[in-house]
Amino acid sequence: MDSFNVASHISGQFDKELESIHAKITAMGNLVEQQLSLAIKAFTTGNIEMAAQVLKQDDLVDEYESIIDAECVRTIALRQPTGCDLSLLISVIKVTNELESIAAKAEGIADITIQLNQSIPADTQEG
Amino acid sequence: MDNSKIAHHISENFNKELEDIRNKVLTMGGLVEEQIELAVKALTSGDMELAELVIKQDNQIDDFEMEIDAECTQIIALRQPAAFDLRLLLVVLRVINELERIGDLAERIAKMAIHLSGNEGRADQYHELKHMAGLVKDMLHGALDNFARMSIDGITDITRCDEQVDREYASIIRQLITQMMEDPRNITRTLDMLWTVRALERIGDHSRYICEHLIYMVKGEDVRHLTQSELEQRMQD
Repeated sequence: MDSFNVASHISGQFDKELESIHAKITAMGNLVEQQLSLAIKAFTTGNIEMAAQVLKQDDLVDEYESIIDAECVRTIALRQPTGCDLSLLISVIKVTNELESIAAKAEGIADITIQLNQSIPADTQEG
Repeated sequence: MDNSKIAHHISENFNKELEDIRNKVLTMGGLVEEQIELAVKALTSGDMELAELVIKQDNQIDDFEMEIDAECTQIIALRQPAAFDLRLLLVVLRVINELERIGDLAERIAKMAIHLSGNEGRADQYHELKHMAGLVKDMLHGALDNFARMSIDGITDITRCDEQVDREYASIIRQLITQMMEDPRNITRTLDMLWTVRALERIGDHSRYICEHLIYMVKGEDVRHLTQSELEQRMQD
C-alpha cells in the first residue's frame, strides 16, 4: 500500500512498527466489515444466535482500538515522526475511532434483532 | 485558572501554543453548549428562527474543529512532545471530534424543531425533554470545566449522570410508543420527538467520552468501554 510507505525509513525498527500497525488496522477493518455483514444478516433472517455472536465479538473490536491507539501513541512519542508519518499515525487513531463507531452501530443492529425476535412469538400468541 | 500543567516549559512559545489551544477548545465547547441550549429552546418554544440560527452556526463548529486539528498536528510535529504534553494534544484531537459530533446532534434537534413547529406539542412531554436536556448540558459543562482545569476530580460523578440520562431516555421512549399506539395520527410527530430524545441521549454519551479522554490525559490509562462501576473501581486504584 502506497500511503503506508513503510519500507522507506533509515530505522528498520520504525518500519516494523508501522507494518505492525498497518497489519492490525487491516485486521480490525476486516472484523468490523464482518460484524456489519453478520448484523445485517442476523437482522434480515431473524437469527438470534448470529446476533449474539455479533455482541460477543464487539469486545474484540474495542480491544483492537485500544491496542492500535496505544501503539500509535508510543510510536509518536518514541520516533517523533513528522510530515506524512505523523499524519499517517494521527489518521490511524481517527480511523480506529470511526471503525469502533461503526462496530457499535452493528452491535445496535444485533441488539434490535434480539429484541424483535424475542417479542414476536409472544405477540403472535396473544393475537 | 491553574496553569501549572501547561506553563512549565522552558520554551515560552510552547507554553503559549498550549494555552492558545486550550482556550480555543474552551471557546468551541462554549459554542457547542450554546447550540444545545438554543436547539432545545427552539424545539420547546416552536421558534423557527432560532432553529435556523442553530443550523447556520454549525459551520462555525466545523471550522473550529479543522483549525484546532491543524494546530495540534503542527505542534506535535514541531515540538515533538512526550508524556503529558503529547497526551494533552492527542486528547484535544479527540475532544474536538466529540464536540463536533455533539454540534451535529444539536443541529439535528434544530431540524426536528422545524419539522415539529406546525404541531401542538404536549407540554408534559417537553417538561421531561427539558429535564433530560438539562442533564446532558450539565454533563458537557462539567466535562469542559474539568478540561479547563486539566483535572479529573469528581469525574465519575459526571459519567454516572449518563446512567440517569439513559433511564430518562428509556422512559420517554416508552411514553412515545404509547402515544403512537393510542392514535396513529401521532406517529409522524412522535417519530420526530424520538429522534430528538435520541440525539440528547447521544450527547450524553459523547460527554461521557470526553470524560474518558480526560482520564487518559491525566492518568495515561485507557478507560474506554468500561461500565460505570468498573470505571469507579479503576479511579480508586
